Amino acid sequence: MRCPFRAHRPLSVWFGCFVLLGFLAQQGHAEPVLSDIGTTPVDVEQNASRLNVSVAVLDPGIPADESVHRDLDVFPRIRRVEALFLPFIIRQTLVEMDEWGAVRVVPKADPSAEVGVTGTIISSDGETLVLHVRAADASGRIWIDRQFTGSVSDDYADNDNGSGSPGYQLLYDEIASELLRVRNTLNNKEKITIAEISLLRYGLQIAPAAFGDFVTTSPDGGITVIRLPAENDPMIERIALVRSTEYVITDAIDTKYRELHAEIAIVYDTWREFRRKTLHYAKEDARRATDTEDDGEHGSYEELRNAYDNYKYHRITEQEQDRLAVAFFTEVGPTIEAMEIRVGELQAWVEEKYAEWQRILEELFEVETGLPE
Amino acid sequence: MVAGYLLITACAAKPPPVITDNMKSLDGPMPTDLSGSWERDYTRGDDAYVVLGETLYQLNRRSSRAQRSLQPTVGYGADSIPGRHREAVFAMARLAEEITRLQVLTIFQNENEISIARKDDYAIFCAFYDGVAKSTESGVGTEVCGWDGDHLVSNVTLMDGLQITHRFTVSRDAKRLRVITTVTSSAAPVPFTLERFYARFEAPTSDFNCVETLSMKRVCSTGDLEL
Repeated sequence: MRCPFRAHRPLSVWFGCFVLLGFLAQQGHAEPVLSDIGTTPVDVEQNASRLNVSVAVLDPGIPADESVHRDLDVFPRIRRVEALFLPFIIRQTLVEMDEWGAVRVVPKADPSAEVGVTGTIISSDGETLVLHVRAADASGRIWIDRQFTGSVSDDYADNDNGSGSPGYQLLYDEIASELLRVRNTLNNKEKITIAEISLLRYGLQIAPAAFGDFVTTSPDGGITVIRLPAENDPMIERIALVRSTEYVITDAIDTKYRELHAEIAIVYDTWREFRRKTLHYAKEDARRATDTEDDGEHGSYEELRNAYDNYKYHRITEQEQDRLAVAFFTEVGPTIEAMEIRVGELQAWVEEKYAEWQRILEELFEVETGLPE
Repeated sequence: MVAGYLLITACAAKPPPVITDNMKSLDGPMPTDLSGSWERDYTRGDDAYVVLGETLYQLNRRSSRAQRSLQPTVGYGADSIPGRHREAVFAMARLAEEITRLQVLTIFQNENEISIARKDDYAIFCAFYDGVAKSTESGVGTEVCGWDGDHLVSNVTLMDGLQITHRFTVSRDAKRLRVITTVTSSAAPVPFTLERFYARFEAPTSDFNCVETLSMKRVCSTGDLEL
């Protein structure tokens, strides 16, 4: 990397340049935080087949109208936990495939990700999990945009061993297979283009003046490369280094999601098992209500008692589920809170540095392209 | 006789809604705070047998009057209630007595919800969001609450034309709670109502801090709890 020293530039630019290079050099030597996420491809061509994947924290899919939560069987606080927790299982599934570059869980969708996965929890009870998953590459091409449904059989539930995904592994496998299927339709050149666009989009975020001329966005959100930067463009090198620095932080955030998964997987499995049983009881209640429908003459005590008891057991089952939801959150709440604080701190650090990097890079761009006064 | 009974039954067949739209809307905070622990005051309240006797007596008089208006020769005093209606009233009385045996009520109330916990029974639940009562509906019944002035009214409509209404009223000094429970059956010409009273009490506090957890069940500590 070279710094554009020019005698007539203000001292602040010199200093900024020095700080950026020093800082990035230091970050460039940082030890990788995770050993199981793969490596970040700096050389685009060599690693083209192993695109990086960013899995964003899910949208919990909580209806804004609080009054419908009970009817829809939505436990908002637990949905928020699931939104943090489930992306890690998607990530693990992709890592275990050994077909991708670095796979990371990120707090929010990253439009410059080589492949970005986002999703919404449509429904989640003890027996069925429905996720709407959307995956797109950096060029805006949609890879997946559909619902995935997973159901738990009794056999699966009985054999589960605290993975945090009782019986739903098939669903995660299906998502991973679908991503792989789309990736395999791309040739090497297309994959290289995705990686290039990803870096240019990232550059556009950090230094819009320097990268604005390289890509264009179509009305449907698609990104097209107008022209590529020169091979030895120092800006590209700097952006790649800035990105590597951000990856170090992203990996630290990813570690937090991994820790969260490790800490609450067993409690989460217990919760799902309780919910599965609750659903089972609810079905028994419904069957009991149907079976006793014709018991007793109209107006008899037996008839009234049956009608009352059917409602009573139905409500007790529902209320027991509410109690378990509170118990679940009591147990995992402190872990979630600690994780959110740490992730918040890391994000705040990145945002602060973003502003700094942005300023320095824009100034460098001006120094390198501007005419002498 | 048949015509007289048809008249009574026709009146009972279409009862007005217990919770009107007006009762379901709430402008501002809830009118009364019912929260706390309440224990049954056995010195006050209805004796189910006495109420049953009165209900049957009134029903008999009503049916006799109805019959006399059609057949003046029919006299008062004779038992003019058909057996199925008598059975239906007995059934309602028995159910009302059973579901109002509760010794303790524990009421939780916040800005939007009221939950009335009852031992060995489901908790009566009332939800008011955005100033409107939210009903709880399922295939086996519909539960909704409303405010009639300072009185909280809970109504559950069940299968086979059974309806149960509880009306909760807190005394001005907030020390007593009156609960009027009315059981209505489409098979009976009249509803059956029982009145119960409760006195506020302070639930004993424990030396232990306990929380419910999922994997460790109930966890208690004499100090601060750290999970």
